[in-house]
Amino acid sequence: MTIVAVTMKGLLRDRVLQGILVAALIFLAIPSISTLSMRQVPELALTLCLSLVSFILLLLAVFLGGVSLWRDVERRYTHSVLTLPRSRGVYLLGRFAGIGFFLIGIAVLLSLVTVVVVSVVSANYPPDRPISWMAVAAALSFDAFKCLLLVAFAVLFSSVSTSFFLPVFGTIVVYLVGGASQQAYDYVSSPAAQSLSPAVRQLAGILYYIVPNFSAFDLKVNAIYALPLDPRTLIMTAGYGTLYMVFVLIIAAGVYSRRELG
Amino acid sequence: MKRYLLSALCVLLAYLGILGPFTRAMEQKPYIEKIGLIPSPRVLQAFFPDFQELLAASILSKVILYYGSLSEHLDQPGKIIYAADYPAMSRTVHAALRLDPYNMDGYYFGQSILVWDAKQYDLATELLEYGMHYRTWDWQLPFFAGFNYAYFLGNKKKAAEMYMRAGELSGETLFKKLAGRYLQEAGNTRMAIDYLRTLAKNARNPAVRQTLQIRINAFEAVLAIEQARDQFTEELGRAPADIAELVKGGYLEGLPVDPYGGTFYLDENKQVRTTSKFAFAASHRFSDGSSESSPAE
Repeated sequence: MTIVAVTMKGLLRDRVLQGILVAALIFLAIPSISTLSMRQVPELALTLCLSLVSFILLLLAVFLGGVSLWRDVERRYTHSVLTLPRSRGVYLLGRFAGIGFFLIGIAVLLSLVTVVVVSVVSANYPPDRPISWMAVAAALSFDAFKCLLLVAFAVLFSSVSTSFFLPVFGTIVVYLVGGASQQAYDYVSSPAAQSLSPAVRQLAGILYYIVPNFSAFDLKVNAIYALPLDPRTLIMTAGYGTLYMVFVLIIAAGVYSRRELG
Repeated sequence: MKRYLLSALCVLLAYLGILGPFTRAMEQKPYIEKIGLIPSPRVLQAFFPDFQELLAASILSKVILYYGSLSEHLDQPGKIIYAADYPAMSRTVHAALRLDPYNMDGYYFGQSILVWDAKQYDLATELLEYGMHYRTWDWQLPFFAGFNYAYFLGNKKKAAEMYMRAGELSGETLFKKLAGRYLQEAGNTRMAIDYLRTLAKNARNPAVRQTLQIRINAFEAVLAIEQARDQFTEELGRAPADIAELVKGGYLEGLPVDPYGGTFYLDENKQVRTTSKFAFAASHRFSDGSSESSPAE
């Protein structure tokens, strides 16, 4: 059986899916909470659904990605797996792919729940503008994509670390920094930042290109308010995300293949 | 196992016993209705990168709940307990709209509180014009802005421009007609009633709807006096001395009641005014004439 399949089976055995379903019970409260809005009930339902999906996927990315490789070493699975004729890099990528496919599956499941909840709410409270399901699908897809990139970082941190602290907290830091990078860059480029020294502004510019830009993957506002999407920007974002993820995984596989696991 | 069950049962009984007194003690705890402070939008954006729309919605719901808890005293006009902290509400609404500039609840609520109660006409209109950059499809924002320009700021030219835009976005010819009419007539009261009725029709929050209805009732009373005054002037060739003369002459059926607790009168320009200035008094006024000042915030 492939490493990918073993990983996914392991996650199901760990009852991760059941845990997600319990968390997904919160979706049941969303129709009632949405009615608190004065003028935009379906938009609030979309906000709540998309934020909840974002949050669940984020938790999965951080904890599954951060804990998986560490646990393998702790439970000595790695030692038996590595006697097989498979390179360490392939093993690591297999783990990543297993977690990734599981995450995508959860994203699809939660997306269906979102569609049901939002349809119910908008049937009772028709929106001023029709809901753009294309934008909702795009928002959910890019959110899942962003979480895959976070899993890649978690796997990278796991490949250098012996405990789960660095992978988990490191991934959280990457998430926060990646979310703020666009805002910081815009501020530094604005006239208001002219009082900062040129060195600081130069450094900020360099960091912007190194640190991942997660705000590009946030299409929530387009989904909630049915704003138009630019296909060209989306393609470039997907390309950016793919290249970044592949680069991180190559580094992770390279580091892991040279690591002492004794 | 039996030992654990027995001890768990004893603790459970004790818990049930304390539940009653505990709940009563919590009910009696003084609840200070305060809106509090929220962190700067920049900080919130940095710490919650993907959740800005959710944060904006939760900040706005906090403001609305705060306002709702104040408005529940409106069933006894003249007996309002607290004066609302309008600067805090305005700051909070602005912060929420920085996080999510598409949120209609923010603009609707901002317009409701800033204009009538806080008298911040320029601020309210500025907020609406900020919103118009984002909610480019929404006719309600230019509609509100048009009203502010016409009724409060006296800028009939900008008002007509806004109403025309509202007309184009909504496809409603009514707005285009209004744009024309409000430029020609000095009929401010009728314009205000039409505007408030539109708001009240779409209001889903009971506290807001109640506030609007009280204002509509007040303005309808003013309109009745204005119509009586105009009819008196037309028929007798002079303006009435006071409202009592209109009642005596049969132009008004009794003295209209001001829901804000004031008394209507005609000023030196024969415009209809009220001693309440269309707002509830800040202090308690009981029916027996005694009064008590409002508690410090």
